[in-house]
Amino acid sequence: MTSTNEPQGAATAAPRGALRRPADLARNLDVSGLVDTEGGLLDRVIFTDQELYRQELRRVFAPSWLFLAHTDQFHKPGDFFTTYMGEDPVIVTLDRDRRIRAYLNSCRHRGARLCRADFGQTRNFTCTYHGWSFNLDGSLVSVPNKDGYPDDFEEGKWGLVEVPHVETYRGLVFGTWNPQPVPLRESLGDMAWYMDAMLDHDDEGTVVVGGVHKWVLEGNWKLAAEQFATDWYHVNMSHASALMLLAPAGKKPRDEVVHRTGRQYSDANGNGAGFPVHPRNRFDARTVHEWTDYDALRERLGEARVEGPLTNGHATVFPNFSYLPVNGSVRVWHPKGPDKMEVWAWTVVDKSMPEEVREAQRLYNLRTFGPSGIFEQDDGENWSEVQAISQGFITNGVPLNYQMGLGSEREDGRHPGRTSELYSDAAGRAFYGRWRELMNTPAWHEESKA
Amino acid sequence: MSTPTDRLRSRAGERADRDTHFEVEQFYYEEAALLDEGRYADWLDLLADDLDYWMPTRTNRLRRQQALSVAARGEAAFYDETKESLAWRIRRFDSGMAWAEDPPSRTRHLITNVMVRHVDPADHEGFTENDLCVGSAFLVYRNRLEREENVFAGGRTDILRKAADGRLQIARRTILLDQNILQAKNISTFF
Repeated sequence: MTSTNEPQGAATAAPRGALRRPADLARNLDVSGLVDTEGGLLDRVIFTDQELYRQELRRVFAPSWLFLAHTDQFHKPGDFFTTYMGEDPVIVTLDRDRRIRAYLNSCRHRGARLCRADFGQTRNFTCTYHGWSFNLDGSLVSVPNKDGYPDDFEEGKWGLVEVPHVETYRGLVFGTWNPQPVPLRESLGDMAWYMDAMLDHDDEGTVVVGGVHKWVLEGNWKLAAEQFATDWYHVNMSHASALMLLAPAGKKPRDEVVHRTGRQYSDANGNGAGFPVHPRNRFDARTVHEWTDYDALRERLGEARVEGPLTNGHATVFPNFSYLPVNGSVRVWHPKGPDKMEVWAWTVVDKSMPEEVREAQRLYNLRTFGPSGIFEQDDGENWSEVQAISQGFITNGVPLNYQMGLGSEREDGRHPGRTSELYSDAAGRAFYGRWRELMNTPAWHEESKA
Repeated sequence: MSTPTDRLRSRAGERADRDTHFEVEQFYYEEAALLDEGRYADWLDLLADDLDYWMPTRTNRLRRQQALSVAARGEAAFYDETKESLAWRIRRFDSGMAWAEDPPSRTRHLITNVMVRHVDPADHEGFTENDLCVGSAFLVYRNRLEREENVFAGGRTDILRKAADGRLQIARRTILLDQNILQAKNISTFF
């Protein structure tokens, strides 16, 4: 399903008045020397610098496809969900024509946050500051004391600023501010094959478990996004306690768990997905495992996917959407300054799952991932400690190592695109390569000023 | 002095007496001490085998949809546990590799606003009026490593079962954290 919305709002010139920002208000730094993808080095300043962070919002987040929500969150016109694109607050809603649309969650009048509920159902969005009211299609429909404005005041020019492109891929809703984006499916490229291992188990697709887990982390958003793209390496050490819990009582994790082999996909768009390859890979709840019809999945998705990305792994869709196929955990790492992020995590399950299987998957996910999860607790500790010490002048200048699997990327004949070993920094290098490319490329909003 | 008529009168839903309040408060303080001292195995002993331990997420909803602001059963929760699953989580600390709690945090569980009523069996199947329905408030302070600080404030609604040996056991616990976005990098303690 694809819907392309005409840009309106800020993109449309107001009939009266004009503003122009000084060109040097936002300075752009050349980041070529901060990421060395060939040598596998990274400068820690990209996790700490405020100017680079502002540049990220302009050049990485604004032009990229960003995850907004799951289609299952919208059933009736007026169902809405509020989230962020970068640091920009947005309302995602279903309009009267049952089209998913997204608007900047800021009143066009004096800029107040328009909707302060996390989600719900409404007929319109009324600003509680002065009372400007907007329809589900973003149009301004009510202005108190309208007679006080000049005769040429046109409500049509003051509708909500709309996210110009909202597209979905197998239930996942993405939006971008880029007026002329590469279509979502095309930008996903081979990554879609890996995503389908979670999203396309049968014709019915996926639904979300009610509610979103949200928590704060004192760490740069890239620490998390990068890890989900490229890092199986940390599992044995960081998650040693969790692996022990998943092993039979009183025993160490089996060798086949610790010494896994597998593949790691990466591409030039910065996407990455890693997964052990093993016929009995699955880490998840027994109830889910027993319900799963592996023969049907092999038929539908092929052996390579069932023994790889379907049964385990991690992935990031550049820049800040990540998921864990085996848990059905999907999440966004919302940037909140160079040293802070907010994690918003959904649990996605197959629509075809019977109630008890769905419940088993939900419980398994909340006990392993999420803020109290036996795995995720330790991830939070890693990222906050990387961040906590990175402001030291000497510390900040010591490069980080991304050299594992250098030069190992190849077409393996079994998985689409290029893959490296399971334990590899290949997708990390690709992630930061894409970051460097976008950071050094003027975005559409800069070109129009030139 | 109680009269025969008093003893016959149903206590279902009634406020418990002063001695019972004292007993429940002491029970909670001892429980808090076990958690603050990291004596999780001893804490598990306070939990009934049929424990239901639930800490739902909470959302910002419009006032007219406020009734929906606490996630329903089956929706997103910070904890949705049985005694068995809590025991599983606690085993993690014995691995010596639970890094989120190594070095361990310093926590202080403050329990207050304790209100004790006898269970009304009509509202709680499987319980008797000897069991207690208890509301309490908590303030949990966590200080970690050099300067990490978290405050978890909220309320709990428990059903405490009066076991055959007279001891209290936690059979049901619902925890409402007074936060929307969790203001912490993780939840590594219990409430």
